[in-house]
Amino acid sequence: MSFCLETYLQESDDYEILLSRAGFKDCAKIIKERATEVLYINPGDKVLGVRIIGIPPIPVGVNNDKGTIIVSYTKPCHGTAAIELPVDVEEIENIRKIAIDK
Amino acid sequence: MKKALILLGCPESPSQTPMAVYASHKLSKMEYDVTMASTPAATKLLEVSDPENYYIKNKIDIESCLDGLEQDKYDLLVGFVHKDAAASYFITFYHILQCESIAIVFEKDADLLEEFKSMVAENTDAKIVAVRAFHNPTPLRVKFDRVLKDLV
Repeated sequence: MSFCLETYLQESDDYEILLSRAGFKDCAKIIKERATEVLYINPGDKVLGVRIIGIPPIPVGVNNDKGTIIVSYTKPCHGTAAIELPVDVEEIENIRKIAIDK
Repeated sequence: MKKALILLGCPESPSQTPMAVYASHKLSKMEYDVTMASTPAATKLLEVSDPENYYIKNKIDIESCLDGLEQDKYDLLVGFVHKDAAASYFITFYHILQCESIAIVFEKDADLLEEFKSMVAENTDAKIVAVRAFHNPTPLRVKFDRVLKDLV
């Protein structure tokens, strides 16, 4: 079964919420500040089984040393959050495949 | 028959539900097959407002809709933009669908209104209906009617 971010956030506790109930731009800023590498994707591209919502180009942070990524996660009534969570190397490679030039 | 998607945001703004019912009615009269994408809370407001589905024929959960969205699935996107998250959703739906779009931008705070309007203008080619509004949907309705005339 493929990874699902929604389920993961409900069932796990090894992720860190860097910012919550915020605007997209503030989350994009913290992603760029807290990641050693930043990849960019288009709105609606899927990361961890979820379409990422936002303003293009959408940053996805990668911390290779920690094996984590930082993504923005938006809900209509709760705004946008920036979440850092551990992922497999394979998932980082999947993000590289859909990455666009900034 | 052309297909229109009306994208609703968080339902806490009082103008959204009546304007959504109105927009659905107007677009149906223009021969559009209209689908309403909304959160569960916004859907409940629609269901109480239109108990016999007279104005709103098709409803879909916003997350399910987004998951199955693809280019050219709809001919027209109409989105309610009254929060930062709603602007992000509208821009995302616009980029996936790549179709003619109308953003109904409204806020009671003038600075936030300008911010949401700029977000949409800088990232889409959507027609923008922007009004400083909260409780009273009339200014939105009047400007929306004007934009609809350009669709004919």
